[in-house]
Amino acid sequence: MSQTEHLLKTLPNDIGGLPADRIERIDHELEPWEKRCHALADVLDFHKIISTEEKRRGVESLGAELIGKLTYYERWVVAFANILFQKGILTPEELAKKMDEVERRQAE
Amino acid sequence: MDDHDHSHPHPAAADEAPPGYYEIMETAIRELLIEKKLIAPGEIRRQIEVLDSRTPALGAKVVARAWVDPGFRARLLTNGRAACEELGISFYDDTQLIVLENTDKVHNLIVCTLCSCYPRPVLGLPPDWYKARPYRARAVREPRKVLSEFGTEIPEDVEIRVSDSTAIQRYLVLPQRPAGTEDFTEEQLAAMVTRDAMIGVVKVNLEHRIDS
Repeated sequence: MSQTEHLLKTLPNDIGGLPADRIERIDHELEPWEKRCHALADVLDFHKIISTEEKRRGVESLGAELIGKLTYYERWVVAFANILFQKGILTPEELAKKMDEVERRQAE
Repeated sequence: MDDHDHSHPHPAAADEAPPGYYEIMETAIRELLIEKKLIAPGEIRRQIEVLDSRTPALGAKVVARAWVDPGFRARLLTNGRAACEELGISFYDDTQLIVLENTDKVHNLIVCTLCSCYPRPVLGLPPDWYKARPYRARAVREPRKVLSEFGTEIPEDVEIRVSDSTAIQRYLVLPQRPAGTEDFTEEQLAAMVTRDAMIGVVKVNLEHRIDS
C-alpha cells in the first residue's frame, strides 16, 4: 500500500491495529473545566444539538497535527466551536467577543 | 501615574493559574448557549453531579448480582441496559449495553479504537490509558501482548475476543467468579470486582478483596 493510499483509507482517529508504544497505565483526576466540558458534551447530546458521533467526527476533522497537539478535552471544545459555527448556532465573531469578556472578567 | 497603581490586571496567585485559552472557550460556549436558551443554566451542574455519581462500584454491583442470581445473569446477558436499570442504574444517554461473559474458554476485552466510548453509566469516566493511542491501537491487533503488559496471562487455549465500542453500542465484561468465594456475601463479592476487570485487562482474584 502506498503512503498516500494509507492516508486516504485511515483518518487520524482510525488507529485500531496500528503499531504503537507499550501501554503506560496513566490516569489523572479531571480538572474542573474538563469535567464541565464533559457535562457540556452530554447536555449537547441530550438536546440533539451535537450528538456523540458528530462530536467524534468534529474531532476527526481537526486533522492529525491538531489532534496530536491538543489534549483530550481541548479537542472536544474546539470541535464544539466548529460544529456550532457550521450549524449556524454561533458565529466566530460572537464566540471571540464572549471569550474576551470571559477573560476580562476572570482576570478581575 | 502612581507607582503602586497597576493598570494591568494582577497576575493570579501561583497556586491558582489563570484559565487557559481552551477553558475560556468552554466557558464562552456554555454561556452563549445559555443566553440563547438552547441549554438551561442548571443542566451542566446537574450533569456534573450525574457524572460524579457514576463509579466502578455500580458495575461491581451488577457483576456480583450476576454471580449470585442466575436469573439476573441471564437477563443481563440478554439485555445489559434493561438488567442494569432493574438494579436502579439509569442510562442517561442513548447507549445500549452488551455484557460479555468470561468463561474457561473465552476471555473478553473491550476497547474503543476510534475514540473513547466506554460504559459510562455503569463505570464512570474511562482512565486516560483507555483513551490513549497505545491501548486503542494495539488491543485489536495483539491483545495477548497488551494483556501481559497489565500482568494478565491468558492460556493459549483460551480464545481472546476484543469488542470495539461505538457511540451508541457499549460493552461491559462479566469477569469469572474466583474459586474459593462460595461463602462470600454479595457485598464481599462486589468489593473484589475492579474497574480493570470489567474492561477485561485483568481478572478478578482474591487479592483484590477490600476487607472492611
